[in-house]
Amino acid sequence: MNFAKRTTLKAIAGLAFASTGMFSAAAASAKEVTVWAWDPNFNIAIMKEAGARYTAKHPDVTFKIVDMAKADLEQKLQTTLASGVTKTLPDIVLIEDYNAPKYLRSFPGAFAPMSGVVDYKQFAKYKVDLMSMGGKVYGLPFDAGVTGMYYRRDMIAKAGFSDKDMQNITWDRFIEIAKKVEAATGKKMMAMDPQDIALIRIMMQSTGRWYFDANGKLDIKNNPALKAALEVEAKLITQNVFKPTAGWGEWVGAFNKGDVASVLSGVWITGSIKAEASQSGKWGVAPIPALNIKGSVNASNLGGSSWYVLAGGKEKNTAIDFLNAIYAKDVDFYQVILQSRGAVGTMLASRNGKAYSEADPFFGGAKVWQSFSDWLVKVPSVNYGIYTAEGDAAVAAQLPNLAQGMPVDKVLDNIQQQLASQMK
Amino acid sequence: MMINWVEKIRNALTYTFLGVMAFLSLFPFGWMVISATNTSTDVTKGKLSFGSALFSNIGKFAEQFNIGLIFWNSAKVAILGTLFTLLVSSLAGYGFEVFRSRARERLYQGLLLTMMIPFAALMIPLFILMASADMLDTHAGVILPLISSAYIIFYFRQSTKAFPGELRDAARVDGLKEWQIFLFVYVPVMRSTYAAAFIIVFMMFWNSFLWPLIVLQSPEMKTITLVLSSMGSAYFPDFGVIMVATVMATLPTLVVFFAMQRQFVQGMLGSIK
Amino acid sequence: MGQAARPASRRFYDINGWCFVSAALALIAAFMVYPICQSLWMSLHSGQGTVTEFVGLGNIGRLTSDPIFIKALSNTFVFLIVQVPIMIVLALVMASCLNMPNLKAKGIIRTIIFLPCVTSLVAYSVLFKSMFSYDGVINSTLAYLGLISEPIPWLSDPFWAKVVIIIAVTWRWTGYNMIFYLAAMQNIDKSIYEAARIDGISAFRRFISITIPMLKPVILFTTVTSTIGTLQLFDEAMNITSGGPSDSTLTLSLYIYNLSFKFVPNFGYAATVSYVIVILVAILAFIQFYAARERE
Repeated sequence: MNFAKRTTLKAIAGLAFASTGMFSAAAASAKEVTVWAWDPNFNIAIMKEAGARYTAKHPDVTFKIVDMAKADLEQKLQTTLASGVTKTLPDIVLIEDYNAPKYLRSFPGAFAPMSGVVDYKQFAKYKVDLMSMGGKVYGLPFDAGVTGMYYRRDMIAKAGFSDKDMQNITWDRFIEIAKKVEAATGKKMMAMDPQDIALIRIMMQSTGRWYFDANGKLDIKNNPALKAALEVEAKLITQNVFKPTAGWGEWVGAFNKGDVASVLSGVWITGSIKAEASQSGKWGVAPIPALNIKGSVNASNLGGSSWYVLAGGKEKNTAIDFLNAIYAKDVDFYQVILQSRGAVGTMLASRNGKAYSEADPFFGGAKVWQSFSDWLVKVPSVNYGIYTAEGDAAVAAQLPNLAQGMPVDKVLDNIQQQLASQMK
Repeated sequence: MMINWVEKIRNALTYTFLGVMAFLSLFPFGWMVISATNTSTDVTKGKLSFGSALFSNIGKFAEQFNIGLIFWNSAKVAILGTLFTLLVSSLAGYGFEVFRSRARERLYQGLLLTMMIPFAALMIPLFILMASADMLDTHAGVILPLISSAYIIFYFRQSTKAFPGELRDAARVDGLKEWQIFLFVYVPVMRSTYAAAFIIVFMMFWNSFLWPLIVLQSPEMKTITLVLSSMGSAYFPDFGVIMVATVMATLPTLVVFFAMQRQFVQGMLGSIK
Repeated sequence: MGQAARPASRRFYDINGWCFVSAALALIAAFMVYPICQSLWMSLHSGQGTVTEFVGLGNIGRLTSDPIFIKALSNTFVFLIVQVPIMIVLALVMASCLNMPNLKAKGIIRTIIFLPCVTSLVAYSVLFKSMFSYDGVINSTLAYLGLISEPIPWLSDPFWAKVVIIIAVTWRWTGYNMIFYLAAMQNIDKSIYEAARIDGISAFRRFISITIPMLKPVILFTTVTSTIGTLQLFDEAMNITSGGPSDSTLTLSLYIYNLSFKFVPNFGYAATVSYVIVILVAILAFIQFYAARERE
């Protein structure tokens, strides 16, 4: 009975399929490019804009842009790639830069190389380096994670500081300012999730170092950048400089509610800051603080992502042509997504567009986009390697020890030990 | 007199204890309902009074998602999944208990062992299997692997122990075939057992998360738990809207529970004997 | 087995037996046994994603020197040792209160206490996350009552994060276990209690020496299922704390998830960790059965 029922169901399903089949047969030449991305206010919206531009020139191509949570997307992508089943995958997928080397190495042949089609010389070099493997380049560079220090001009003014005092400072100076701001306003200088190590990554990359050296070898124990970054982190924790938050929502809430005087993050956070319209005119942007060691600059990167084409996708060639036509050639597109979504692209020519030189009243009339694109070219290039997530976990696991005053060298030992055991 | 006094204190303590427990049980529900009427900022601030944002929250939720379709998907998975599970598991529970043999007893013990395997261990092979059967992104693909629940088979077998053997013997004397006995004697007699299992299995399907997350690909197929999870981990979570979604995700299981509560407790009683 | 001399009725009986269980067995074979075999085979491999090599039992050696695994294992045991007894005792006490003969509003209280377990794991995780946030309702209520002067960093402190997970799991599952106890208690013959009462045995002694022994099979059942549930704890740790801060709420299941989907995907090693759970459950279930038998 059970089986009979299922056969009936199958028959019904077959009928349903047949009817939809008739529709698609009517539009046989139509191509639908499927895209997976994760942020409806950012990359999803931008992809819709890009799709609309392409469809305007190629009416036979339409886009199906699927929105899912970032963790869900990564999980689904990994399961599917591991199973070797390609037909449920999209044509284009968004991948965060930190994860790109991992995917390229773990699933060889899964992504379509685009070297030869796309002119990679016109993109920021550090982005292209991340998507290169074995002499081929995969993916199309999308947004930059160039960092900045957003600060509340009204709050620092109460503590006697001006915009000038915030330019090109060091982390030690930042902590000094933080204390004075708290004394004057009663507000913490920044909000931070005590288990989030974004700041450590920012500090590390500002010196051009990472958990691994250029050859992908572990570089922890004798890594001056990581050591200095951990020392700063320890000061931030033990000297109570930040307001603790848990998770993204609380963190965004802290600065939207006006609980903190600064935000240190990637340029993509601009949209979230400007979301609180009542704070217009109160914010300023300066370069991030530098570490007190040789080679550290006042520029770094956090996050950022790129588009990758699946090698097994039905519309692989259309997808490549689309990405190349819009993301690698359309300067005007970059002006639109900058203005509407605050997305700083990594196509260098886009910086010459008019949107980049405009003043923003939200930031007191400063030309913030110009500043960010100036800092973009200063971002030191690093090799994230394939074990960045493991590195993050190893560092995060030591934060409580750091807070309890464990010597930084011992902390480095522990990180080295845990990470070494994960790299197998 | 003395005993009466002790009794009174004990009663007072019992009521206080149960009262506190009941309050703690209900509090998150109250918080959920209150928060659904507040704006996102008020929710993160921990506001404990009703606000006026309920309709705008519902509006925003309806704007972002096709609520009707999401509910239809969840209901389809939950109801079909539950019916098939009840059918297959009660047949097996009955079969294992009534027709005992050494071979089946071994299999049964093996079956119980599968309860110990964490789902994470089976996920990748299961996914490959469903892909080769061309069942990814279908609700059948979600339902099929979840039907064979050792726990529910165990539950039915335990309950069958309370099924009077005389009824079966009488039915056999009357010339009923074994499947007729099952269908026309066992099923009606065990109504409350089925009701209890229905609630448990319905909740299991309605609330299932990890497996549908992997199998279902397109937004048109998503169930309410998947939508809720992706709302919670969005870059800009709107907690007021999330709370509306939470209420909506919880409501159907509450309704099923209240509608079938009596049978449920009776069914539980049966399984313990 | 299949001797020709077997009586026809016996064969009939056997065929019927197989018919009844066949659908379930077929499904179990396809969706349980086959994946289990496949994942056992996978556990003998290691590597990155689809680039793997045969390592035999190498993954087992790796377990012993993996600090994250050891952390996840010890966290899981903390949850097990703290949470399961709290929940079982609480459920037992509530059940025996509700079993008092002249209690009013019994049905309502029972329903209320059972209610949490109809919520979905995702929904209640979202709820608890918002309730326990730094500025959230729990902190503001505690501050209002004057119990704390500074907000408790529930989700960002390793100790408190564990507490939140324990509170959450206890909230979700206590009522569920209580229903089992309550059902079993109502099956106990009232006259035993009456006799004990007449003999002047105190309520507490009656609970210890009548109720508990009579409920032993049910307690065993709930302990075993709770143990399995705790060892497989995933959704709460995933949705409330994501295993943090600094891995303090990382469970074995979540580590499996991380090994498969967050870190460089190593499905072989992940499968090995999942078999650790299987073995632990088997050992603990055996101990619990043995301990229960011993006292008889």
